Amino acid sequence: MAILVNASTRIICQGITGRQGSFHCERAIASGTNIVGGVRKGKGGSRHLGVPVFDSVDEAVEVTQANASVIFVPPANAADAIIEAVDAGLDLVVCVTERIPVLDMVRVRHRLNTGSTLLVGPNSPGIAVPGISTLGIMPQGIFLPGRVGIVSRASTLTYEAVDQTTRNGLGQSTCVGVGADPVIGASVVQCLEKFMRDEQTEGIILIGEVGGTAEERAAEYLSSLTHRKPVVAYIAGQTVPEGRRMGHAGTIIHYGTGTADSKIGALQAAGVTVVSSPIDIGRTMADQLPSRQKTSDQ
Amino acid sequence: MYLFEYQAKELMRQAGVSVLPGAVATTESRAVAAAGELGAGPWAVKAQVLAGGRAQGFFNNDRHLPGVVFAETSLEVGSVAQSMLGSVLITPQTTSEGEMVNAVYIEPAIAVPQEVFLAMLVDGDSGQIVCLLSKKGGQHVEQAVGVDPNSLIRCNLGSGEMLTTEASLEIARKLELSPSVSDSLSVVLKKLHRLFLEKDLSLIEINPLGIRQNDALIALDARITADDNALFRQSKMAALGSRSASSSAEQIALREGFNFVPLDGNVGIFSSGAGLAMATVDAVANCGARPANFLDVPPVLEVSRVKQAFLLLFSIQKINCLIVNIFGAGIMRCDTIADGLLLAHLEAPVGIPIVMRLAGTNSELAISRLEKSGLPIQFVENLEAGARKIVSMEKQDGSTLTQSSWAKKAWLRIRNSI
Repeated sequence: MAILVNASTRIICQGITGRQGSFHCERAIASGTNIVGGVRKGKGGSRHLGVPVFDSVDEAVEVTQANASVIFVPPANAADAIIEAVDAGLDLVVCVTERIPVLDMVRVRHRLNTGSTLLVGPNSPGIAVPGISTLGIMPQGIFLPGRVGIVSRASTLTYEAVDQTTRNGLGQSTCVGVGADPVIGASVVQCLEKFMRDEQTEGIILIGEVGGTAEERAAEYLSSLTHRKPVVAYIAGQTVPEGRRMGHAGTIIHYGTGTADSKIGALQAAGVTVVSSPIDIGRTMADQLPSRQKTSDQ
Repeated sequence: MYLFEYQAKELMRQAGVSVLPGAVATTESRAVAAAGELGAGPWAVKAQVLAGGRAQGFFNNDRHLPGVVFAETSLEVGSVAQSMLGSVLITPQTTSEGEMVNAVYIEPAIAVPQEVFLAMLVDGDSGQIVCLLSKKGGQHVEQAVGVDPNSLIRCNLGSGEMLTTEASLEIARKLELSPSVSDSLSVVLKKLHRLFLEKDLSLIEINPLGIRQNDALIALDARITADDNALFRQSKMAALGSRSASSSAEQIALREGFNFVPLDGNVGIFSSGAGLAMATVDAVANCGARPANFLDVPPVLEVSRVKQAFLLLFSIQKINCLIVNIFGAGIMRCDTIADGLLLAHLEAPVGIPIVMRLAGTNSELAISRLEKSGLPIQFVENLEAGARKIVSMEKQDGSTLTQSSWAKKAWLRIRNSI
């Protein structure tokens, strides 16, 4: 099994007729992702990439029984697109769109509090379940169905972790990019919880980066578990010097968090193996998992 | 987008929050005249840079001159302005390279009996707008809050709905000031919150907010950051930003839409995606070489912008080798990177060795195009091999190609094309 998505998830794409939406949906469909329709206001009734296009998410859900959506809508309208999907009662929404105004996301988060939808993103590369489904923009051809769950705050660096775990034969159960924006939907902790419960996932790779509090929250969560799967983390930005700051508010709002040191310290205290170089992510994960040979001997 | 103090104060003035009268000067004579227009002294002369911590800062050519200076006479205002203008100010909040001062802001110097700290910002954790208040206002607020976390009051301001009078009064009272100051503070909070929402801001900070003898409040300093992602619907704010731009490499990168941070080594870094770019810097540094920069080129379709990014790196004289680390995905395709490099080469022939790791979408196509070009490129399979290769290269060729004339030409070309 995977987390968040499986073979029976019925997916629609909001913004399917746009350049990005078309490009990625075409590849996703070709690799077997269960995309059952698209939404583009004004193009309802037509077909695109072999699936029906609807004027609204509500209509699409009514006809296709979709329960998930991937959003490729330009930033000015993306928040409304997310809210439309939440209003339609979808279980999962993945938003790829970058550069959504942060106050729009504040509004979206408020709406999410009163619904049952899980939002991944925005500014997310999406979710990939190797061999089953690609929601978003993750490249084809680098995945291997396997044992490791990957949760990442840094889009392109996600592929680096995927590449290394494919090359060393571990493979991936599910990869989730939670999104690089300050205000996002699903948190790193929510993904870790799901991976801990997922039978296919034997170990977890957490890709963090400087800024925000997601890694510190993850450390708190992991510390609270008595038995857990091994977790390997890499925090991007350890050697990048601190940039310009505007005043004190950003520093004191979550005092003592946000730096690479605070994140690494918190994760190590929670028993996580933190690698200092990104080239060690894959092999460190392999060291933490029983080899396949050994498993079959037992 | 960061605003200068004088721009932030103008927005506050328009929003009905009280600030001192002030004048911007970009020359010594204008500074002297401005002081006269503002009335009798003393005055505060404040360097305008896009960072805080100015009072604790110093200038690169005068380590005893801070970024905020009090002057008794208008002639003194002029001489302080003269020293600041055209010099680089380094503060605890700038990068180590500091910021060029192109303008000073002159205000009457006043003393107030009490100063508090006030900020509003978006909190990623809660996904809400948050207000921070502290009685320990002033330049040492960070340390004060570190020592005594209870001195910081933190309130959620909701998700975009206007603050009611009752709610803002309730927040203001938490600071436990006199009833009349609490009333004034609640009015200020409402006005700032409205400004925050209407202008799509991501930060308002007033430190200090002065409490005057008559219990009136006055913003003695002001920081405002506007949300870059909302500038498309904030044309007036966007116009303020263009005036804030200076001509450093960072600003050029900003105009082109690259995330660029100069570092102090010799290995140029070219990558796409902030995470992968940071990881490349980390990998190179961990293998024992010193990165010259952080460069994250956002996923683009236009080859011309990729070319500009390469030209920007080629224009930096201290870079003596370059690592390109690209994982093609989404609209970022490896062949776009290859074509951008080939175009850059036409304008400024590549004179430094390049290590390239191209993976993901269209990587094979890109590699075959570049192999035909005869450029001094070594291709590697993964980031690990790339980092090790560049480190051995940097050690061998450490002294070569630092002062090439084409680099200067390319630099000028980029600057002139803006």
